[in-house]
Amino acid sequence: MSEMLVEQTVPKARSGAASFVACTLAWLVPGLGHFYLGKKTRAAAFFLVVSAMFVLGIGSGGAASLIEERQPLTFLATFDNVAVGPFDLLGRYLTYGTIVYSLPGTEGDPRRAELLDRLRDRVRSVTYEYGNTFLLTAGLMNILLILDAFDIAAGRKD
Amino acid sequence: MIRSHLLNMVVFSALVAVFFAFLTQQGTRDRLRVILILGGSMLVLSLVLAYVMYPFPLR
Repeated sequence: MSEMLVEQTVPKARSGAASFVACTLAWLVPGLGHFYLGKKTRAAAFFLVVSAMFVLGIGSGGAASLIEERQPLTFLATFDNVAVGPFDLLGRYLTYGTIVYSLPGTEGDPRRAELLDRLRDRVRSVTYEYGNTFLLTAGLMNILLILDAFDIAAGRKD
Repeated sequence: MIRSHLLNMVVFSALVAVFFAFLTQQGTRDRLRVILILGGSMLVLSLVLAYVMYPFPLR
């Protein structure tokens, strides 16, 4: 009779401070939370994948979302963009020429017109929808990475 | 950047498959299996869906 022994390692739980640091690092740079927790291969893979998503998104004409009070879904889209960390600042600068998070509400505001003009320039790109999809997916991926880093730090996962 | 619809879809599927392979699996063999299954499924199902939708008019 043969018996197969399966070795199971119990994930190590870290302190609450370590969880917080891991999540913050994961937000700052995709994969950095995993690097901090000692998962270096995963960290490199995550950094490359999320960075590639972001670069393809911006390169394909995608645009960082702006909060517009009349359109509640723009809150979610902007939150998702911000989840990718400081990359989002670069995305906003390349999209609008400045760091801006919301669209001025009044119709006659010249600032609003300027932002909309810049946005229309990107919407005209034939790959705009692809670009937006890549950008939003990069944000969603980084949200999952932050949660994954928390799970690893809390000892729920190896 | 990439103007081809198909190439965009292939690149997107590959990146998503690699991401979930590294997120959910530990070993190289298991990761490769997830990449092939997930990436392949996304591509094949998208093409099947596109083929099924082809007869429907846009408007």
